Amino acid sequence: MERRGEHVAFALSITLLASLIYSIASAPRANAIPAFSRKYQTSCTTCHNNFPELNDFGVAFKKNGFKFPKDDESFVKEPPVLLGAKAQKEAFPKALYPGEIPGNLPIAFRYSGFAQYNSKIPLAVGFTPRTDLFAPNTFTIIGAGSFGPSLSFWIDNDISTGGSGAAGGLGDGYIKANDIGHWLHLPKDALNVRFGQFELDLPFTQARTINLSDYDIYDQASVALANPALCEFAVPPPPSCTTNNPFMLGVPQRGIEFGGYPNDGNFTWSVAIVNGNNDGPAARNSKDVYARVSQTFNLERDASVRKEVRAAGPTGPRDHTSLRLGAFGYYGRNALNIGGSLFPNLPTIHEPFYRVGGDFRFKYRNFELWGLGMFGHDTNVVPNAPSDIATGFVSARPVTFAGGFAEAEYWVYPWLIGLIRYDVVNSPTDFAAGLSRYDTRNRFSPGVQILVRANIKIAFEYQRRFQQPIPDSPQFFRANGFVVGTDFLF
Amino acid sequence: MSTLKRAVLTGGMLLAAFSLAGVVTAGDVKGKVAVQGLKSAGNIVVYVDAIPGKKFDPPSQHVTIDQRQMAFVPKVTAVLQGTTVEFLNSDSVAHNVYWPSIGGNKKLAHNLGTWPKGEKKPFQFNDLGAASLLCNVHPEMSGTVVVVPTPYFGVTDRDGAFEIKNVPPGTYTLKTWSEDGKVTTQSITVVAQPTNVELTVKK
Repeated sequence: MERRGEHVAFALSITLLASLIYSIASAPRANAIPAFSRKYQTSCTTCHNNFPELNDFGVAFKKNGFKFPKDDESFVKEPPVLLGAKAQKEAFPKALYPGEIPGNLPIAFRYSGFAQYNSKIPLAVGFTPRTDLFAPNTFTIIGAGSFGPSLSFWIDNDISTGGSGAAGGLGDGYIKANDIGHWLHLPKDALNVRFGQFELDLPFTQARTINLSDYDIYDQASVALANPALCEFAVPPPPSCTTNNPFMLGVPQRGIEFGGYPNDGNFTWSVAIVNGNNDGPAARNSKDVYARVSQTFNLERDASVRKEVRAAGPTGPRDHTSLRLGAFGYYGRNALNIGGSLFPNLPTIHEPFYRVGGDFRFKYRNFELWGLGMFGHDTNVVPNAPSDIATGFVSARPVTFAGGFAEAEYWVYPWLIGLIRYDVVNSPTDFAAGLSRYDTRNRFSPGVQILVRANIKIAFEYQRRFQQPIPDSPQFFRANGFVVGTDFLF
Repeated sequence: MSTLKRAVLTGGMLLAAFSLAGVVTAGDVKGKVAVQGLKSAGNIVVYVDAIPGKKFDPPSQHVTIDQRQMAFVPKVTAVLQGTTVEFLNSDSVAHNVYWPSIGGNKKLAHNLGTWPKGEKKPFQFNDLGAASLLCNVHPEMSGTVVVVPTPYFGVTDRDGAFEIKNVPPGTYTLKTWSEDGKVTTQSITVVAQPTNVELTVKK
């Protein structure tokens, strides 16, 4: 039992190390979209202050169904193709309701190539080259736009191997009905609905992050043991056992989301019902629920400025000085041993789990500061006897984790941006599995980003990581890394 | 030499001299600018250069440059030195107006700031030269204010045609300004009936 546990811990170490290296190397899914530049004949900087990060105008553009917040038609340089005269609305339902499609194919392409320099990893852990040039290379197709005033869509797909969270594959792919609340006489933008595969309404996006690596807490999954079949009855029960929940907050989910941003977008709410199997098909009968609310406090002194999409600075428009506070929660019921796949004579295991957290974001002139804290809890059960004679399950210690991140961003010039970030995850289960020296794994990541052009970026990020045990040794190592690369869209 | 012969000879010499000098007549100076190596003959400023001993008061009426559909309208504006230009924002988005220099002098850079739809901001251009108008929210926007020393100027249309009205009789230097082309100069003598002037601007 003890030797088996050591093997499992070793296997998990390899898995975690590989994940760490992959996440160091992973190209973030940067989803700025030049198709909008072409549609409006305007620069990326109209909506982005450090692509793919959105400025206040870009947020308003996105919330308006990928249209200019006011007088959109007067700014469009590529008129749409009408799929029916507007007067057909009067003929409905005796005629097809008229719609429109973008005038030109709303397609953009994005390429990311990164080089990395790794700290020396002990051979006992597995061979890791010191340097890797331009890995991963990710080529992404992005298509987005509107089908008229009330429908919008977004599709992005990595069509090459590698890339954040997937060896190619669909990222977001959804259609959204905007402001359907007006049919119910609700305030503007109080109710929207989107359906498909999408990143949850997270406080801070992972799919469209400016960072070269994921937020660690977003990638945290509750995995008590890699192979629950190894969980044997023991007195006392092992600290972790059957829990094997693949759900990660930062990965796109499939489902339907209701949400809105009334009050000029200062208040946002969303409720999503999803499969809970990340960007994969449903693996169980139950569905999960995610909810989020946030309130932005506009701190501009001038009341007239608060009503504008962007504030007025001495050298041009700027984002509003503001403080946003939010809270989110996720609830699901993971299912294991379906059809006796793990314990042939035992029923399906249902393990409810939840994630709860809070977030903040502060903006002032060229400076932004944001952070998030989250707690995760997974029910854990063990067989009530050795599996060949077990008749059911009993509760064991739940699998819990907590953590978050804090990050600051500063524009030295419009094209030169400094970043600094701290990630932390506290997971007793992972520690018990031998993945880290302490319960807490933390990371410190300073970085610099240079906008060579509005659509071309060179980025640098250093990651100083937590200590990990070296198998069969009392010593520890850090999987530190330095990443530099290029990212461009057209 | 007979009187008739002398008159014909003098007239011919005068005609030849006028042809060489590009003689045009009093009142309006009309013409066409041809380009070599430039994309377009449009938006080229043609103006009478400074006249020694002559000063001109700027007009009391202000000139307006609009920001409409994410573009400066008109794209190129010529003004007499000392003219006040009013920058209007007709768009439903925030715009900003600034220029990095006037006539290449970076000390004359200026940022007018930001103002909402329907409002305008004035600026008096007292220095000669071209000021490239920019918006730091929408980098694709560009326009030009060309500040000239006399009130005798015109801007070519798409085909390169221009007209300068009410030029007093006299001999002057005609100059051009274009975004991508070299400065062209030509001496003209304004005498009587309007006529055409042909200019060529090269890259």
